Amino acid sequence: MILALETSCDDTCAAVVTSAGEVRSNVVASQGLLHERYGGVVPEIASRRHLELVDAVTSDALERAEVALDEIDQVAATRGPGLIGALLVGVSSAKALAAARGLPLVPVDHLHGHVVASTLGHDPIEPPYLCLVASGGHTFLARVDEPSSYRVLGQTLDDAAGEAFDKGARLLGLGYPGGPAIDRLARAGDPTAFDFPRSLPGGREDGAHLDFSFSGLKTSLLYRVRELGSEEAERRRPHLAASYQRAIVDALAARTEQALDQEGLDRLGLGGGVAANSELRRRAEELSVTRGVSLWAPELALCTDNAAMIAAAARFLEPLPYPEYLALDASARPATPPTTAAA
Amino acid sequence: MNLLGLDTSTAATAACLLRSGGEAFEVIPSASDLTAPPAHTRELMPALARVLGDAGLGFADLDAVAAGIGPGTFTGLRIGIATARALAAARGLPLHPVSSLAALAAGADAPLVLAAIDARRGEVFAALHDEAGERWVPFVVRPELLAERLRESALTPLAVGDGAVRYRGELEAAGARIPPDDSPRHVVRALAVCRLAARVAPVAPQAVVPHYLRMPDAVPEPQTRRP
Ligand SMILES: [Zn+2]
Repeated sequence: MILALETSCDDTCAAVVTSAGEVRSNVVASQGLLHERYGGVVPEIASRRHLELVDAVTSDALERAEVALDEIDQVAATRGPGLIGALLVGVSSAKALAAARGLPLVPVDHLHGHVVASTLGHDPIEPPYLCLVASGGHTFLARVDEPSSYRVLGQTLDDAAGEAFDKGARLLGLGYPGGPAIDRLARAGDPTAFDFPRSLPGGREDGAHLDFSFSGLKTSLLYRVRELGSEEAERRRPHLAASYQRAIVDALAARTEQALDQEGLDRLGLGGGVAANSELRRRAEELSVTRGVSLWAPELALCTDNAAMIAAAARFLEPLPYPEYLALDASARPATPPTTAAA
Repeated sequence: MNLLGLDTSTAATAACLLRSGGEAFEVIPSASDLTAPPAHTRELMPALARVLGDAGLGFADLDAVAAGIGPGTFTGLRIGIATARALAAARGLPLHPVSSLAALAAGADAPLVLAAIDARRGEVFAALHDEAGERWVPFVVRPELLAERLRESALTPLAVGDGAVRYRGELEAAGARIPPDDSPRHVVRALAVCRLAARVAPVAPQAVVPHYLRMPDAVPEPQTRRP
């Protein structure tokens, strides 16, 4: 039985997962509303809130799992990447908890967690598979041959997809986070009303054209809104939202399809908060039908930041026995630099 | 009775195991740690394990935990308090929150002590302690204003802490006496945290939070990173 903590950004998360991958509890204390008024995550506020919540969230996870601390065999925690001050709360708490009970500790790479979220539950994805992870902090495609690691095939060169949604929402005068706001509004809009660029950066020497770029798209929306003027932009907001969303999803879908081809894979997993986007889900399902690809689109609670996915990754990693982890530090950057070389 | 104490309110990391007989096993920071880059995450748990090991004890033998709750460096305090809270919660122990300025003053061993911890951005966290206890409650202040208050009071306390070292000029001119920069009296000792714990009622671990004394900067991440 694994107890996992995740505090890399603005959600305080704890989960209990069995070694077989059954999610016994997955608790998320969201700080979203706290940061909403600032239009983004405020690191110092996030860190303060994590500390206030971490013990309550941990005991809540144990309680909901109906598991006593005695029954926990391993503690896992997100080591990075993320906001350093936020990560330190979870890492410190997990180390002390593990040490106090003489348990081993598993430091986990947050991105690895997203990549293996689909290995949880009674219908786990089996390698080899392709995983598209798109969130506010990262957007990348990874190949998984062994669930203990992953290989990044392509990633965003500038903004993450979720960031593009957030910035787009701000330009359209919608709230934060922008993804759900644009998704809702887009339902009433025509996705072909405006033509936004699908920037698919390419031309790398190794022939791998699997990277993303979303900053040009955001700029293009800015110009379009200015062109229209505030009244007209306001009137045509659903169309702008639908077209903007379509452009983001088109880029994600195009690269995913390309990666499936290049890697000869027929299993696709989704991860990250953007996986909640209805247009992306629709396109992924379409892709699975037209290409005969099996699709794992986990429930939203496993896509957005959560601790169950950290436990999921921990299942495949070698735990550090007590006292080897006592000096373990958090790391704001990825534990292993993502490799983008194509096979 | 085995009491484990810690303080991470400055760049230094302090740990102590105090037994009921008064026997103490301690990791005492040196004054030079106060100006080194902080490394609480790497140092704190090893220091706690070391004082326990020196006493021939393990985490399972603890009866209580005490933590310096600041004021001081925000990240350091969070690391210390998250650690203390998790230890206490995982072993069902009482947790005693102790003022880091009070511990600094207690360690200075003088009848009248101005404890000053560097608050960065040209300010200090300060409190004045006499034998009866807190005479000036902790506050955050610019050194020149602290000096002014000192001058007005006509008191000549012993001033200690990295704040006293940093603003030696201003404070000495106002009447404070300050030990040399490398004096061990400038560090917060976990032994002092342990001793003061006896006077502080334990608090439910999850209710213990840092004494920040300053509002957070409400500046969002330049890139709205939500990993
Ligand atoms: Zn994430």
